[in-house]
Amino acid sequence: MKRRDLIRGAATVIPASIALQMLGTKFAFAQDGDFDGPLDVLNYALTLEYLEAEFYRQGNAADLLDGKAAEYLQKIQTDEETHVTVLMDTITQLGGSPVPAPGVDFGQAFASSDSYLEAGYTFENLGVSAYLGAAPSLFAEKELLSAAASIFGVEARHAAILGVLLEKPAEGGVYMGATETPMSREEVLQAAAPFIVSTVTR
Amino acid sequence: MQPPTPPRPGYALFDGRPVMAFRQESSRRTFIKGAALVGVGGAFVAWRAGDPRAFAQGSATDLEILNYALTLEYLEAEFYTQGLAGNVLTGRDLELVTPIRDHEQAHVTALTETVTSLGGTPAEMPKFMFPDGTFTDRDMFLTAASMFEELGVTAYHGQVPLIQSAEILGAAASIAGVESRHAAVVADLLGGDPFPAPFEANKPMDEVLAAAGQFIQS
Repeated sequence: MKRRDLIRGAATVIPASIALQMLGTKFAFAQDGDFDGPLDVLNYALTLEYLEAEFYRQGNAADLLDGKAAEYLQKIQTDEETHVTVLMDTITQLGGSPVPAPGVDFGQAFASSDSYLEAGYTFENLGVSAYLGAAPSLFAEKELLSAAASIFGVEARHAAILGVLLEKPAEGGVYMGATETPMSREEVLQAAAPFIVSTVTR
Repeated sequence: MQPPTPPRPGYALFDGRPVMAFRQESSRRTFIKGAALVGVGGAFVAWRAGDPRAFAQGSATDLEILNYALTLEYLEAEFYTQGLAGNVLTGRDLELVTPIRDHEQAHVTALTETVTSLGGTPAEMPKFMFPDGTFTDRDMFLTAASMFEELGVTAYHGQVPLIQSAEILGAAASIAGVESRHAAVVADLLGGDPFPAPFEANKPMDEVLAAAGQFIQS
């Protein structure tokens, strides 16, 4: 399949650009050239999941939280680790090579419980926007699309609950409006760059 | 990629407790009522639940899927509108649930306008009926809310592989993510589990409509 088809979707039968305006979403969707096929999208997702899984592994090991927050963050760590495993397995099954985990440095994120939760909140909201932005690049691969969407929803749950734990305002804190906002690959990698000390190749 | 599908409590149970007094089994009658409302006709009855290929061969167009989503959003919007009018929530509960109502209303508006812009006819809002007591008690209200949010999440995810336009998919996904946030927050307010699984579950249209049909007055 040509990449163009993958990105555009094989058959757009309705003038959806009109619909999008109506839905009022800011669609920073994948552009031609953002991704080199489905494996590239999966490796992009894998890199973000590595980052998240390692973040929670270090954060939970620092023993900053107790009670419900500790319990929730432990579950989030397990979710992210599951995402890593499933993405690696999927890439391998498709004949690809999973990218290696990047070297990471979370700076002062684990200085306090609040800084830990705040950084997690940032990662989760970034993850939500990253998956949404990449979704059209998986459009022709329905199983991959469904699986990526099912991860995306869980990242949204994480983001909301971290907002709750931080006692953020409901709108603009726990929720980010009536629709999620996608981000392009470039924006996402730029946001993640400060935490990645050894980069992975595209 | 086949994400594991761990057993989920489904819409009828939350934290091991019965949610409320409604039938747990999908009935053909409530399904047909729901299907008629969204204009998808009887062809869907032939679908076998949980069979993605049977599903993908169905005849639902994006317009039908949008009207299906619209019907569910009507249900949620009306549920929260009535629920908040009952004044049983206070403090942080109220602060966190009020935007949910606003989101559901925004989804109704957006979906209605989208269907219209695509040359379709938006599904009409059905008359809804919620069981007595749903809005007079905090836990009843939030428990029902949790059921609706989890149902909404599974409904959107059930349509992901069926949507024919990449742009409509993106728009639907951008709503689905918000429903996931709602589901997590409401679960937390109830002392339940905001993260029931590492992957969102999905349900086919017939199961969702049968569940939603319980609340539709024909």
